[in-house]
Amino acid sequence: MNYRSSLAGQIPLLTLLLLCAATAFLTERFLSPLNLTNILVQSSIMAVIAMGMTFVIVGGGFDLSVGSTAALAGCVASMVMLDAGIAAGVIAGVFAGALVGVANGLIIAFLSVNPFITTLGTMVLVRGIVFLITGGAPVSGETGLPGAFVAFGSGRLFGVHYLVWIPALLLVLLSFMLHATPYGRRVYATGGGREAAYLSGVRVRRVIASTYVWCGALAGVAGVMLAARLQSGQPTAGEFYELTAIAAVVLGGASLQGGEGTLYKSVIGVLIMIVLGNALNLLNVDSYWQRVAVGAVIIAAAAAERLRSRY
Amino acid sequence: MPRLRLAALFTIVASFMLAAAASAQQNTTIGVSLAQDDNPFYIAMLRGIRARAQELGWEVATVSANEDKLKQINGVQDLIARGVKGILISPIDAVGVNAAYDAAAAAKIPIVSVARGSTSPNQTIHVAMDEKQIGRDIAEWTAGKLGGKGKVALLMGPSGAPTFKNLGDGYAEVMAKYPGISIVFRADGPLTRERGIKQAEDALVANPDLAAIYTANDDVALGAMQAVNAANRKGKTLVTGMNGVPPALRAVKEENLAMTVELNPVEWGRLGVDVLNTFLHGSKVEPHVFIKHVIIDATNIDAKLPKT
Repeated sequence: MNYRSSLAGQIPLLTLLLLCAATAFLTERFLSPLNLTNILVQSSIMAVIAMGMTFVIVGGGFDLSVGSTAALAGCVASMVMLDAGIAAGVIAGVFAGALVGVANGLIIAFLSVNPFITTLGTMVLVRGIVFLITGGAPVSGETGLPGAFVAFGSGRLFGVHYLVWIPALLLVLLSFMLHATPYGRRVYATGGGREAAYLSGVRVRRVIASTYVWCGALAGVAGVMLAARLQSGQPTAGEFYELTAIAAVVLGGASLQGGEGTLYKSVIGVLIMIVLGNALNLLNVDSYWQRVAVGAVIIAAAAAERLRSRY
Repeated sequence: MPRLRLAALFTIVASFMLAAAASAQQNTTIGVSLAQDDNPFYIAMLRGIRARAQELGWEVATVSANEDKLKQINGVQDLIARGVKGILISPIDAVGVNAAYDAAAAAKIPIVSVARGSTSPNQTIHVAMDEKQIGRDIAEWTAGKLGGKGKVALLMGPSGAPTFKNLGDGYAEVMAKYPGISIVFRADGPLTRERGIKQAEDALVANPDLAAIYTANDDVALGAMQAVNAANRKGKTLVTGMNGVPPALRAVKEENLAMTVELNPVEWGRLGVDVLNTFLHGSKVEPHVFIKHVIIDATNIDAKLPKT
């Protein structure tokens, strides 16, 4: 890796640091321990979704269904939990998410349907299923979800929220998987050039399908975390999360053309989005201007990505 | 080389911290987190909040949620980190944002719900409408107009929503006292004009002599009113609304809508600030504060119409 590309590779981190420095300069509250832990908790759920999205985008695909999938997982987990205990609920939630991923993967990889259309379809369809199984009402039982699960949503270990430990742990495990195993290299190869990967013996359909299963399962994990945070299964939760996740992954330097992207940088992309929102809130910027700012940042990130790939 | 730059950046960050810490000042801000920032009801409520806060010497910091529960929790956390003295919130849902109340309680910041409320034990005060009483008042008004007899249809709100259940219960409770009045139709549904038309049409087909239609919301009322006019029942089937939105006020003026209830969102905002202010100054406030409502009909509509 030459000097220029290694520096360009640090653009997301530099952006984040600059953003933090500017905010810290403008308000002393930004660097308070309370606010810093807040930022981590606020990023945790989206970080898990963005990691799954990174698998799909590196593999050359796209997944719009993650928000609906997270809502499904949260509601399934809550419903099962009320009957059969926390562990069963959590497993059922993640499994439900993975199942949506399997459906996406099979349709996209083996029926060769465009990923945008497929996942647009599952996004709407899964949301429909969520409303059907919940009757449109939040799931929290007569007396709320089990106390230990609710406590998990706000509890801490070594001063850091449980919800933050999950993406931290997943980041280590999944980084190993995507960046240091033959499987990971096959995902990059497939996303970088499907024909070439196929000709060199990669079973590209299987690889593509597998990325959607990762994405679905991780959206499932995020959905269960969301249920813990919201102390209920919320059928309307997760709307527009797909767009935030895609924006974060692109902010992290991944290419929507596939074959490029790093898990930890996608997490940095999430942190940029969250810190931006946090900073605008701390600085009391009008909410309408916040929308303008967030939109501008997404476009700027995409533009930076294009400029970078030109050199 | 990149490492050197990083070191330089950290130095800059550190110096910013010092500069910022030096400029720390007395905070006299209250935080506001409404369920939406693009809904006319909340826009008006925020206007009331800002106006009253200014009169009382508070600065206002707002965060938006746009019906995203997680975003609302995050926003409240940001307000707490900002060091606000108290928080006004209109929670998206009675359970889903309880973590925001927990966070406020952990930071020992009072959190007052306005309009929508929460089940959280950490809710300091709830400023709400007296839903049952509004339902009763609409029923008394209707029964008076009908002379105590006739068939009535109830177009309720979305099933499961406690607000609309309370409204309907209050209404039915009063109507049960009038032996001449019978509730012949009762249906849940979304708060849309389209649904108001459909259900009112059905109710009128089943009961051509329907004397009144109760609706849970002005939009439903405006739909029902269209169905009543299409069936040539204007003036014979009374339609009642609820909320007092401008199109409904115009409909009352044109005598298409018999009455509606004004829930002045600007006043909600002002009352919310008053309650929080009283509490912050150490006075005791009841856990439930009711906002007063006003029935609007042909007798007082001219005073209520927006000035043009």
